[in-house]
Amino acid sequence: MVTRLGASALLIVGLWAGWPTSPAAAQGRVNLLCSPDPAWCEAVKRDFNKATGIQTEFVRLSSGAALARIRAEKANPTFDVWFGGSGDSHWVAQAEGLLEFLRPKAWGELRPNLTRAVDGHYIPLYTGLHGFGVNDKLLQEKQLPVPATWKELGDPKYKGLIAMPNPNTSGTGYVMMTTIVQIYGEEPGFELLKAIHKNVAQYTRSGGDPSLLAGRGEVAVGVSFANDVVERARKAFPIRFVAPKDGTGYEIGALSLVKGAPNRANALRLIDWALEPESQKLGPQNGEVSVQSNARTPVAPDVPRFEDAKLVDYDFGKYGTPAVRDALIKRWTEQIFPIPR
Amino acid sequence: MRHAAPAWWAGLGLAAFALAPWARGVSGWPGSTGLALAGRTWAAVGIGLALLAGLGLGLGPWGRVQAGRILVAAGGVGSALALGLVFARGEPFGAGALLSTLSLLTLAGLGLGQAGLVRGGGFVGAAILGASLLVGLFVVYPLAAVLHASVAVGGRLTTGPLVKTVTSPVFLLLAHEALPVAPGVVALAGAVLGLALGSAPVLAGRRPTGAAIRRLVLLVGGGALVGLLLGARGALRNSLLLAGAVGVASTALGLAFALLDARSRLPTRRWLAPLSALPIITPAFVLGLAFIYLFGRRGSVTHGLLGLDTGAFFGPLGVAVAQVMAFTPIAFLVLAGVVRSLDAALEEAAQTLRATPGALLRTVTWPLLRPGLANALLLVMIESLADFGNPLLLGGGVPFLSTEVFLAIEGRFDPHEAAVYGLVLLTLVLALFLLQRRWLGDVSFVTITGRPSGGRPVPLPRALDAGLTGLFVVYAALAMLLYGSLFLGGFVRVWGIDHRFTLDHYRGLATAGLPVLLETARLAAVAAIPAALLGFLIAYLTTRHRFAGRTALEFSALLSYAAPGTVMGIGYILAFNQGGLRLTGTAAILVLAFMFRGMPVGIRSGMAALAQIDRTLEEASSLLRADVPATLRRVLVPLVLPALVTGLLYCFIRAMTGVSQVIFLVSPGHDLATVLILSWAEYGHLGRGAALASLLVLFLAAVLLPAERLGRRRRLPSVAAGGG
Repeated sequence: MVTRLGASALLIVGLWAGWPTSPAAAQGRVNLLCSPDPAWCEAVKRDFNKATGIQTEFVRLSSGAALARIRAEKANPTFDVWFGGSGDSHWVAQAEGLLEFLRPKAWGELRPNLTRAVDGHYIPLYTGLHGFGVNDKLLQEKQLPVPATWKELGDPKYKGLIAMPNPNTSGTGYVMMTTIVQIYGEEPGFELLKAIHKNVAQYTRSGGDPSLLAGRGEVAVGVSFANDVVERARKAFPIRFVAPKDGTGYEIGALSLVKGAPNRANALRLIDWALEPESQKLGPQNGEVSVQSNARTPVAPDVPRFEDAKLVDYDFGKYGTPAVRDALIKRWTEQIFPIPR
Repeated sequence: MRHAAPAWWAGLGLAAFALAPWARGVSGWPGSTGLALAGRTWAAVGIGLALLAGLGLGLGPWGRVQAGRILVAAGGVGSALALGLVFARGEPFGAGALLSTLSLLTLAGLGLGQAGLVRGGGFVGAAILGASLLVGLFVVYPLAAVLHASVAVGGRLTTGPLVKTVTSPVFLLLAHEALPVAPGVVALAGAVLGLALGSAPVLAGRRPTGAAIRRLVLLVGGGALVGLLLGARGALRNSLLLAGAVGVASTALGLAFALLDARSRLPTRRWLAPLSALPIITPAFVLGLAFIYLFGRRGSVTHGLLGLDTGAFFGPLGVAVAQVMAFTPIAFLVLAGVVRSLDAALEEAAQTLRATPGALLRTVTWPLLRPGLANALLLVMIESLADFGNPLLLGGGVPFLSTEVFLAIEGRFDPHEAAVYGLVLLTLVLALFLLQRRWLGDVSFVTITGRPSGGRPVPLPRALDAGLTGLFVVYAALAMLLYGSLFLGGFVRVWGIDHRFTLDHYRGLATAGLPVLLETARLAAVAAIPAALLGFLIAYLTTRHRFAGRTALEFSALLSYAAPGTVMGIGYILAFNQGGLRLTGTAAILVLAFMFRGMPVGIRSGMAALAQIDRTLEEASSLLRADVPATLRRVLVPLVLPALVTGLLYCFIRAMTGVSQVIFLVSPGHDLATVLILSWAEYGHLGRGAALASLLVLFLAAVLLPAERLGRRRRLPSVAAGGG
């Protein structure tokens, strides 16, 4: 009895499991490797499909993982478009011949300061400031002032109160490193990074996590891009963005065509569609609360403004070079990261 | 019927060769079949001839041994040609190639049996060849691809990555001005302590025996090593200390729960199985996440209840506690079967002989438990070494071997460095494996003999019973808290901040989460059944038959379990992204990854169960002229059914909760639940992540509980007869 029951159960499971799911036709389809907030990826999938009828699928991987994936699949790319993610990982991929640069139809409509900075390497999709997500409540409890500069983050009074992403995995962590190096020079910059290291409570894998930890009050300061901080604040976390006064870095989020894309024509349509103001509104509505690249896309009122910050003169070319990037990360990993905290 | 087997297989192979497309994605049937290829390449002609030879040998009148030898040759050459053709043509293999190779390999195996080259007949021969091919292709080959990346840069052999990684301070830091005490001093202290402990019996006046001297050397060496590790820093040190501590703690807890499960008189006994199974059905990182919410700086227990303000749980302590929570059930699952099948008659005999409780434990219970304990310890230590979710979430960024593999691949994009870390992990596991072998030796631990046993398990002494139950209650309460916060998280607006009730997260799941969950379950189910069967088959072959390469087969199968998921993931991408074995972008690669990650559990539980079954049962069966398949079906499988069910369940669950390997393999349209939860959690959609994680846990619980009960009802006969 039990055997027969078990056997029929197995049979049913087997039938259900073995039933083929209809594979999508190779035509009329586009595959995204999507690095921003998954909510944005979902919105793009839904609305692009609605607008064109092209079946859109995506896998979300943070910039570092996405680059590893594209490298591994070099011989046989699954993906057509790499949507979003930190510009320097796109820059590296472009330098390695994994991506194909082209100027989309809307190139002329994009903010000229962005297109000037990255022309020939990738298409700018959005841009945002980089700094601190600060939890005022915890700082008040600890009777500590709000840190205003990178230098102050190295003050021992903030010990155990800072979260930052590991530059090894996170573009956000790499931007922090390069910002400090560009403000203070490499040697003093690394001294400062060492002082900050001693205060860090948690290194995170992704750039979004420190602001979450700060929002929850696990730490007082999370090194983060402004858009993540604003998004947390919109979700009722007690957190606000502070642009460091000794120098504020920024990113240019990227959009790229994968070299050898299996659905190239649809990929090009998606790139053109993604740069229209109407589609760019999806970003700020879905977690990526930053300045979108098309100058005609309206900017949300709670996005921290570039005009109010003391921007560093960010050298995207230098710090996007694979050799420079590897050397900096290697130095940090070997000289600072192992120091006992 | 039996003698016709080669003909059947050859017929199947010929049909596939002539009718099915050789490669995938190639249009133009019938021009795409293997038969059509025979017009273009001599290898295909050879394959066809080999299959025809199989058919002829199967149908014609032949001398058994002679024909068997020819069959081995034909099948061996044929399958080598088929594999060679797949690799050489570089087109992704199709049904024709798959079935032809399979039947040629089976023919060679049948031949091995007939020629008497393998004892046990054609089934055993075919099973050995089939299992070896599968393990070789899907475990050894991807790892070889990774290892190749570790010693070859741009096609040239070099030791550069190896030296660079091993000398890096992240790997092992022995000297630094910031270290509180020099590692050398601590090592010396450890050695002295070992010396003191080891020489105590000598000082007490007993004559030094060989065993005592060996123990002394072991203690001094172990003390020095532990001291060195305590003093040093770095990934190697952190991982070793963590694995050791978690292994011992989880095995001890698992043993305590297993004893309660079999011998407690308290009503809490009934809660053991379901509660201790909970952490298994949860992705490790989800538990880690819930952990932060309870024990972080603002955690509801540490801050809300106790009023503490501490970040102590971000660090190795938090990782260790989370891992003990997560891995104790594994130790429990392994040990429960062992404790339940302890033959109570042996203990009764010892008691009749006036053994004191201490002597009973030392001379009867302990030797019977030892294999189970060793297995549990090994499994937990491997799990701890390979786990990357908890060290990543809770470790405070302190380096561990598994996280460094991950960071090297995902962050520094350096497969060479990652491969070296993977190599170190594999070496450690190899050492554990050898240690376990040595400890167990060749002692027999037979307790299921087929002869009736009349003993009743001795209930635990009341004080011990109460103490262990207390331990269990603490564990259970912690588990309930973790799950409570997880389930609650799906129903509040923002977990930890805004606790107003909402159903939005679950509504959001309907379009974005539920289909993915169902797809994940489907793929996991497809993988679980072959994984459990293959695992048991390998366990059977390696414990009951002697053949060349037996240890190699057992060990390579275990590799898939031991290799960290991230390394396996990159290995699969490197191995299966191009050429004849191209699988990336399909659901098949996910199924294969699931299958070969789950299979080793089937092997180990199968081996533990088989180790307790006396061979005379099989000998009796074969004296009654049953062949190997019949003996398996009618004698062994019914006896080890609980172990088979455990293997099957564990593979399904592991597939549904694992993340480190498949995060590299998900492709558009084949997303997986854990990958989705992780990406939601990373972006602060905690509510939705908690909701999907809750659904996943509930779904797995619904699968696990009835099946667990089914497995229990079918107890091993001697235990059922004795224990009631």
